This record gives sequence, C-alpha cells and structure tokens, in this order.
Amino acid sequence: MTESALFTTAFAFYVLSTVVYFGALFARRVTWGGKGLLLACAGFVFHTAALVVRTAASGHAPFTNMYESVSFFAWATVLAFAAVDRKFRLPHIGPYAMLIVVALVALASSPLMPKEMAPLVPALQSYWLWLHVSVTLIGEAFFALAFVASILYLAADTEEKKEKYDSVSYRAVAVGFPLFTLGGLVFGMIWAFRAWGRYWSWDPKEVWSLITWFIFALYLHTRIVMSWKGKRSAVIAIIGFLAALFTYFGVNYLLSSLHSYR
Amino acid sequence: MRSVWKSFASVRLAIFLIILLALASVVGTLIPQGRSAEEYAARYGDLAGLFAKLQLTRLYRSSWFLMLLFLLAVNLTVCTVSRLGPRLRRAFGSVSARDASSVAAMRVKGKLRLAGPPGSAAAAVSRELAARRYAVRTADIEDGTVLLARKRRLGWFGSDAVHIGLLVILAGGIVSGLAGRRSHLPLLEGQTVDVPHAGFRIRLDRFETEYYPQGGVKAWKSTVSVLENGVPVRTEVVVVNRPLVHRGFHFYQSSYGWDWQSPSLEIVVGKRGDPSSARSVSLRTGERVAFDGPGITHLGVRRFVPDFVLGEGNRVQSRSGEPRNPAALVEAWQGDEHVFAGWIFAKFPDFGEGHGDSRSALTFVLKDFQASQTSVLEAAKDPGAGLIWLGCLFISAGLFLAFYWAPREIRAVVEPGPGSGTEAVFGGFAAKGRDAFRTEFEDICTSLRRAP
Repeated sequence: MTESALFTTAFAFYVLSTVVYFGALFARRVTWGGKGLLLACAGFVFHTAALVVRTAASGHAPFTNMYESVSFFAWATVLAFAAVDRKFRLPHIGPYAMLIVVALVALASSPLMPKEMAPLVPALQSYWLWLHVSVTLIGEAFFALAFVASILYLAADTEEKKEKYDSVSYRAVAVGFPLFTLGGLVFGMIWAFRAWGRYWSWDPKEVWSLITWFIFALYLHTRIVMSWKGKRSAVIAIIGFLAALFTYFGVNYLLSSLHSYR
Repeated sequence: MRSVWKSFASVRLAIFLIILLALASVVGTLIPQGRSAEEYAARYGDLAGLFAKLQLTRLYRSSWFLMLLFLLAVNLTVCTVSRLGPRLRRAFGSVSARDASSVAAMRVKGKLRLAGPPGSAAAAVSRELAARRYAVRTADIEDGTVLLARKRRLGWFGSDAVHIGLLVILAGGIVSGLAGRRSHLPLLEGQTVDVPHAGFRIRLDRFETEYYPQGGVKAWKSTVSVLENGVPVRTEVVVVNRPLVHRGFHFYQSSYGWDWQSPSLEIVVGKRGDPSSARSVSLRTGERVAFDGPGITHLGVRRFVPDFVLGEGNRVQSRSGEPRNPAALVEAWQGDEHVFAGWIFAKFPDFGEGHGDSRSALTFVLKDFQASQTSVLEAAKDPGAGLIWLGCLFISAGLFLAFYWAPREIRAVVEPGPGSGTEAVFGGFAAKGRDAFRTEFEDICTSLRRAP
C-alpha cells in the first residue's frame, strides 16, 4: 500500500472509532467502548505504517513540514490516549480524544497542507530533528489529553466523575510536562546551539514554548503547593494546551519565526 | 528583614512573577523586536515613542524584564534555601523517639504481632525492609525499638534540582550576555582573516554548494583551516549542524553570499537591427576596454548591482545580496568624449536595448556575470553555554525525580505486646503513587506475619 492509502485507511478507522465511541456514549452501550478502542488501535497500526513508509521514501524523519508534523501529532495523541485509557478506563475520554485525533488527521489531509516530500534543507539535517520534534509532540499529545480531561471535568455532573477527570488531567500533565521540557526546551536549546550557534534567540517559537512551559509550571505550583484542584486547575490546563497549540500553529502562520516550516 | 525573607520565600510571589513574565513574553512576540525606529514609526504611529520609552521594542533585554528575572532568581534561591534544611532532615536525618509518636498519625497504618522478643523482631523487620531497598535506621526507646525506613530519598529534591537548574541557566545567560563573543566572517576562497578576540586566524580553503537532483540546496560546505602563528593546525569541513570547534570558539556555517565589488561580466554589443554584428566583450566593473564600434572607441562598466531597485530620490540600490535582478551601468567613449551611460539588465535584455545611444545605434545585453562566492561563517565563543547544559541536566533529572521517583517512608515501633510476644505498629507515607505504595506496604506486613 502507498503512504496515502495507508493514511486514508487510518483516517477511516479513526472516524469509525469515534462514531462507535460516541455511539457507546449516547446509546449507553458500554461494551461498544471496547470496540471503539479496538478500531482506534487498528487505525494506529495503519497510521504507523504510513509514517514508516513515508520515512523510508523520504529518507528523513516524518515531521519536516506541517502535513507530516500534524500527522505525527495525531499519531502521538492516539498513543497518549491508549496509555491513559489503559490506566483509567473512563468512558468519556475515548470519544473526545478521538475527536481531536480525527480533527488533526482531517487537517493534515486537507489541501491546506501540501503533501509533497521535499529533501531536507541543511538546517534540518541533524539527528536532533528526530529527538526535538518527536519528544515535544509526544509531550504536547499528553497536554491534549489533559485538555480533554479538563473540559470533561468542567462538564461533569457528579463529584465522583469530577475527581477522576481531575486526576487524569494531572497525570497527563505529569507525563507531558517533563517530555515537553526535555524535547521542546532542552533538546531545542542543544540543537539551536549546534545549528545556529546560540541556544536561545528569543525567536517567537521559543518564546511561545516558554509561555506554554510557564503556564504548566503555574498549573503544577498552584496544585502542589497551594492545593488548587478541580475547576481552577482545569482552566489552567485548558489555557496551557491552547498556548501549546498557538506555539505549534499560530507562530508558523501568524508570526515570523526561524521555525516557519510549513 | 525577616518579613522580606518571608515574602521572597512565598510561592505566591513565584506565581505572580511567572504570570508577569508570561504576559510580557506574549507582548514581546506581538511587537516585532529590534527593528529600526522608522519601521516602528510607520507601523505604530504615535505609539512608537511610548513603546520605545517602555523598552517594548527590545523587551527581552529591557531593564524591567531583566528585573523580573532577577526577582524570580531571588525568589527561587530563597525558596530553595529555606526548604532545603527540613528536606535534608526528612531524607537523611536520624531517627528519634519522636518518630515513635508520629506513627499513629500516618495515613497508611498496620499492626502486627511478631514472634520473639522485641530485639529480634525488630531485626526481622529491619531485614525485611532492607530487602525491599529501604534504608533503615533504628533507635532504642524504653523497652523497644523505633525504626525509620526510607527509600528513593533523592525524590525529595526533585523540585529543588529543577529550581537550581533554572538558577544555573539564568547564570549561564548572564555569562553569555557579558562574556559572549560573536562575529560574522564573510570569506572568499583562499582568504585568511583574524578571528576577533581569539588570537588565531582562519582560512577558507574551499566553499561549495551541493544541490539535490530535484533542486534545492543539499549542503553548504566550507573547508576551513585554523592558523596558529601562521601555521595551519587543523582543517575541517564545516557544514550546517556541524561546527568546527577550536579553543572555545565555534565556527558555524551561517550563510553565503557573493563578492559583488568586481564581478566579471560578459556584455554583448551589436548594431541595432543587425543581429549578425553582435560581439561579446568581457570586462570587470571599473574596467575600461577598447572597443571598435560605430561612433565609440572604448567601453566600460561603472557599476554593478545584483538586485536592482530604485530607492528614494530614484537612487539605484541593491535590494539584497542575491542576484535577483542583476544590472550593470554601461558607459561608452569616443576618444576622451563620454558618449553615454545606461543601465542594462540581465533579466530584461530588451529594456537594455532602449538604453543604446541613438548616435551610435548600438545595443547592449548583459549576457553573463560571475562573482566569487563568499561563505559567511559565524565565529562564536559562549562561555555561558556550559552552565546552560549543566542547568538543563539539573532540570531534566529534577523533573524525573519530582514526578517518577517519589520518596517512600515507613516508620515502625516494635514493643512488647499485651501478654506475651511482640507487637509492631507500622505507619507509611508516599509522596506520590499511593496505590502502589499501599500494595507494597501490605506485602511487607504479609511477609512479616508469615515469618517464623
């Protein structure tokens, strides 16, 4: 199968998974939830194959333009969701997490994002491309789950549910924050030093990563030291994910940056 | 003094500063940084003056932004120092009779009857905990023993390590800002230059650009030699992402360009309406060559620009260093008489023909231009970088410790029980992962119960 056939198959499975998940939710068929997960995993297998095929064909990491990186981000979000789902098994996380995945894959498929494989420009020819981008995006995938859990927290009607979503949100941040720090900031600084000779240039992408980092630092400090929980934490996690999204998309399209790889 | 210390030790201040820094950073990305005063005036009108006064146009180096960072550094230092003592005691301090009274207040609890006298029972408990990688300390109380068992003790210092890492990074930033040296070195092949502040020279031996078969640049490769006292000591190929490092100086492939001062040009001169008369002339800028044509005896090129544009007052400028719109100012003489001068364009040959002098009825076409390529290397010495990497190491290790190396603590009082035998009361604490800890705690109790 070609990369685009694999990618489209993955997309189809993700859509099916989302439909079945929402079916489980609204038709109150609990057993459908397991089928939703199975479909998501099937999509994940095809998606993985698509990324592998593209890597083999292009000869470089599958995140050098927006199509590739959004696709990888969607892939990482499925991965993060599967990890969280294995631990918590909450019926509402699946449908909404998969909704985000479907939105991302749809965005990647759209004509907004050219799919041509271009050979690597000199600045990207480094193994730090692998480390910096993949670890950052996996970290941000966990922020996406914290975002889903936080929204569900705000919408939940019982204390028991609220407590669970609050806990999922915190656990997702506890995984996402170290990964984001390591991949986005630490690896980013090391690579910047190797490629440009300066570890920090106050480039808009760097600044927005720092802002995102500040927001999640705020999340952790208010929570751990000042015992904030629940609503206020949920709001901070939501703002944090939106800042991460802006770092990812907004800087590329709205601000001029050294990082404008489209 | 005490209250100043206290307010700097507060997390509220840290939160306040983080919010201010985040908001300031947002502003810094909305207002482009470090542009010219004219650009700000054109973009913001009357506000430009206010922005300049508030240092919003160089925000990240402004005194107030640096002040916020300084306050954050003080806050981090005070927080870390004031918490370090209690934490060290908690992680490594000795056990005392007080720990016996605190067992009852712990969240995870257990009570066991153990065989043998209190002394040997306490030894058995000790062995069991040690086998599970707990560091056990004991103290004698009246007629029994109190045990304090701890593991993953470094976990107490995760957030401290992150905070120390941040301080080290801020220190690194200061060192970089004060002692960092950086210069752009545009080099022609064969050219040798002094590296500023370095005390040695570098020579560009060779510069080549590799292209992909489908187009696009694959690599810029500069072969660079380092010369100490005029003697080459090393030669390396510098490409993007692979700098040459010599005595603390890094040499980066930063960009490339051309030496447009005196490119060699090829100009085709012909009679108007007679293509067969075309003749090609090779010359450099500033050069005047003999040319035998109708009405002229000499030809010259006064000026060449790679990217022709008319600036203010119709002055000819080059918009960039790229050969996007190459143009040459051609002149012709008859004897000593200056006959004419006109611009001709490589990309618009027809336009150049119009410039031909009507008296001489000649046409000029800028056929080719060759300039030596320069490789622009960036020489940088950044003594702060080492501190940055050290800080990054602290932060990475600290985050791991803070999130995934949660300390566990078990306290036990082993005393003669009611009647015969020995009774042990356990209390446990885990900073995180309480479910996993509870499981371990119960395992410990079970295996002690089973012990003979």
